[in-house]
Amino acid sequence: MELQITDPHYREKSQALTALHGVIDPELYINIVDLGLVYDLDFSNPEEIILTMTLTTPHCPLEEAISNGVENVMTPLFPDRKLNLNIVWEPEWNMSMMSDEAREQLGF
Amino acid sequence: MNPAIGNTPKEYAVVPFYATAAVVFFIFTLLMFIAAPQFAAHYFHGKTLALVHTAALGWATMIIFGAAYQLLPVIFERNLYSSILALASYFFLLAGSILLIFSFWYFFLSWGMISGGISVIVAVLLYCFNVFKTADFKKNKLNIQNYFIISSALYLLITCTIGLLLVINLAYPFFNISHLEILKLHAHLGIVGWFLQLITGISVRLVPMFLLSKSNKSHLLSLSFIFQNVGILGFTLDRYFTGSPARSTLYLILVGVGIFYWLFYLRDTYKNRLKRKVEVQMKFAFISFGFLIASLFVALLILNFSDIQWSTLYGTFIFLGWISAIILGKTFKTLPFIIWNTRYKTLHGKMKLPMPKDLYIEQWIHYQYKLFVAAMLLLTIGIVSNILLIIKAGLFLWILIATLYIINIFKILFHKKQLTDGTSNNRSTLP
Repeated sequence: MELQITDPHYREKSQALTALHGVIDPELYINIVDLGLVYDLDFSNPEEIILTMTLTTPHCPLEEAISNGVENVMTPLFPDRKLNLNIVWEPEWNMSMMSDEAREQLGF
Repeated sequence: MNPAIGNTPKEYAVVPFYATAAVVFFIFTLLMFIAAPQFAAHYFHGKTLALVHTAALGWATMIIFGAAYQLLPVIFERNLYSSILALASYFFLLAGSILLIFSFWYFFLSWGMISGGISVIVAVLLYCFNVFKTADFKKNKLNIQNYFIISSALYLLITCTIGLLLVINLAYPFFNISHLEILKLHAHLGIVGWFLQLITGISVRLVPMFLLSKSNKSHLLSLSFIFQNVGILGFTLDRYFTGSPARSTLYLILVGVGIFYWLFYLRDTYKNRLKRKVEVQMKFAFISFGFLIASLFVALLILNFSDIQWSTLYGTFIFLGWISAIILGKTFKTLPFIIWNTRYKTLHGKMKLPMPKDLYIEQWIHYQYKLFVAAMLLLTIGIVSNILLIIKAGLFLWILIATLYIINIFKILFHKKQLTDGTSNNRSTLP
């Protein structure tokens, strides 16, 4: 997910992405932002955050742990907003979505 | 919970299988050492039958059931139908395995042996019911990976039903054809139908997941499915109805072609992997494929030469070289994650947590791997040259492998929460 400085919610999104760096995929030991799992953050409704993300594998046994991790970092950061976690499978996650840091950690 | 997120199976549906399999594996290695002279004798002997069923039921099928209950949601992309039924299957499989192994070891041809067979069948029926209800193929479209899992479950049921008939025939003979002929069908339906198809189905889902890879060559899997099934069904029906081994080489080749199509698919996922570093757990998988291929060549020797050692070597390659190797590696790609999930999933993101790999001693898996290579080398030399001392040396190394394995497994199972506040270095252990 790319962040534009012209985005009206730049500050919130930047804070959210920094916090989401703390959520690690326990299999790969890489955070979900660098893995490219976070597709979108929507702060347009002042009462909620819609976080659209995917996972590397549908029905992965660790998906509950990852979604809990997202809630655990986002809820204290934005206590006045309700987190709406939207897990999607389209577009399907692929390697091009990873950051250079993530690729480096995987040995590329 | 987010509706897009599935429920993981309950801990009690998975963990007892892993714990019991580890204990049985350790006992199995001790029994092999005690019964080492059987490695130079004909396979139709009580102690050999006990060893084979300890490996096939108490070790391999036990841990495969546990892994399958954990992974069926990943494979079918929907929740496990019932954790309770999974637990029930555990008790029946455990009771059946104990009764059968004990009866074979002392060769008690009694109702204890038959009860063991019935108990295993009940466990298998419960497993099949859970698989079919999870697959829910009336509502959902299945892919080729799913077909492998479903067919393997059916083969397991057929294998165990024939096994029950065999133990009844031992106590109360009623077969009008050779017991040993039916035993061969029972063994190969189990090896090719159950183990091979189950491992094929699970591996083609997990290996890409572990290597972060993808293959678009699913036609290889379809071909693998066709060849494996034509081979094993042809062998079974031909041997049953004609009693002739004349076409056995053909069926062996058909199964072999099926295996190669599967391995070509895995090679493609390996070539396309994103995770460049290959972990030792995956090395176990790769060496296990080598032993599977080697067992095909040994099977050719069995078909052409009547020497006892080729049958022993074949069984050794199948149960130790292939199935045990793949389990020794894959256990550490599943169990630490299962336990980590139960301990830490609600705490993820709140504080610095140990990762699944921190739940066991990874270095020991490297030792296990080296011991495995040495043990298989010694066993192969010992069996081919028929030297008991070398066989015993190989079997002693297997005891060491099982010791490392069981300690690591129980280290994972008894892991207590270790919490480190991300802002400080205070570490505490919680119950």
